[in-house]
Amino acid sequence: MDLFGRGAGALDLQLEAGDLALVDARDLPLASGFADLCCGLQPPAEGEVRFLQRDWSRQPAEMADALRGLIGRVMSNPGWLRFLDATTNVLLQQIHHTRSDLGALREDAARLATHFGLPGLPNGPIAELSPADLMRVGFVRAFVGEPKLVILESPVQGLHQDLVPALLNRLWEVRDRGGAAIWLTRSRMIWDNPLFPATHRLRLDHQGLSSIKAAA
Amino acid sequence: MTDATPALTESPAAHAWRRPLAWVGRSIRSRLRFLLSLMALSAGTVAESLSPRAWRRSARLEFRRVLRMALGGSLTATVFVATLVGVGMVYQAIYWLRVAGQEGSLGNLLVAILIRELAPILVGIILLGRSGAAMLTELGQLHSERQLHALQAQGIDPFQILVMPRGIAFALASYTLGVVFVLVTMVVGFALASVLDVVQTSFWSFLDALLRATAPADFVVFPVKMLAIGLLIGSTACLTALFAQEGEDIGRLISRGFIRGMLAIMLTSGLLSLAI
Repeated sequence: MDLFGRGAGALDLQLEAGDLALVDARDLPLASGFADLCCGLQPPAEGEVRFLQRDWSRQPAEMADALRGLIGRVMSNPGWLRFLDATTNVLLQQIHHTRSDLGALREDAARLATHFGLPGLPNGPIAELSPADLMRVGFVRAFVGEPKLVILESPVQGLHQDLVPALLNRLWEVRDRGGAAIWLTRSRMIWDNPLFPATHRLRLDHQGLSSIKAAA
Repeated sequence: MTDATPALTESPAAHAWRRPLAWVGRSIRSRLRFLLSLMALSAGTVAESLSPRAWRRSARLEFRRVLRMALGGSLTATVFVATLVGVGMVYQAIYWLRVAGQEGSLGNLLVAILIRELAPILVGIILLGRSGAAMLTELGQLHSERQLHALQAQGIDPFQILVMPRGIAFALASYTLGVVFVLVTMVVGFALASVLDVVQTSFWSFLDALLRATAPADFVVFPVKMLAIGLLIGSTACLTALFAQEGEDIGRLISRGFIRGMLAIMLTSGLLSLAI
């Protein structure tokens, strides 16, 4: 993925297959805007944003949607559709973009759900899940299928730092398959951890995206 | 043949005419914004639904769910109202036309009033009140909970998954409920008249009289009316939800959607009746 824009805040980032960028983004709306930029939902003021060598701005709407179907994203505001059950919410992206067998998708999602500490894939109304379970279900949604890029917007907050190893395990799987990941964080614990397996460390603020050398 | 583009210059007099015309157009458009959007959305729904590519698994899934909700939510109310109309109208028509010695007009009367006018409007109101309001509640939080954004982030076109399946499901539900309404009304009215010895003919003769009174245009206008009313109820609810302000009260949204839906039902029914 190439990402650069020149304007109020300059962004310059290129991720290759297997890369994991850890981005210190304390401003939540800015982090969401950056994630939208990476997904082609928001055009850059200047420059271009590319995904799988394709410039988002040059893609027809249908193609852009299909490309977004290859991106798994943990959103700061997950936007669950309350009229759909939890299973359909989790699998909706795969149901829409792929012809994968529904049973196989459910199995994959259930395996991921167990990995993230759920007893299985919840199938009741999404509104009945606790915030902690919703967070886990959000992880399942981002990793189900075979995403080429995973964007995590402050995925782990507060008391749920124990989920970081599980997330990193899944990220290794994505990276081993030739995908890449962007982890936007506000957590000092994650940012200051020298063992965090990031290939890029960056800081995002209103001046733009700046590269930071690893602490260790 | 030359490629020269005609000059776009105009005289000052023509320019003076354009400004008031533009003002009239602008003010009409702003007042008719919802109506124009509704027409565009409904036409878009029909056009898109004709393309097999639009019916992805997600759209089919949502279509089935909404169809179940619309039919299941409104069927009991439709049968109940149809029973009341059967007793209050069909039976009364049979009785009083017999008293007046005008049994031969029964078919014409029932077709003109019940099938052409009453059934589409009553079924539309039931569908709007039972399922349209439920749908508005579902979609009312699209903005406040950033559900539209989440869909777009997943590469899912909200039109394909929220609007089109709902419009088509409501159209089919409306048609089905319309047929159920007419059948129940006739059966109940005739059964009551038979039990009370008001009518001596068989049910088939009664149906035959109805069929003879039905003009060829009725076979087209009734389905078109029911389908259009259902489509417009679905589109109105979707559009009201999509045009809602962030954090807008659901109660206000439902009452606004109900009024718009009522207008859509009345206008559609009236305009299509004029077509006969």
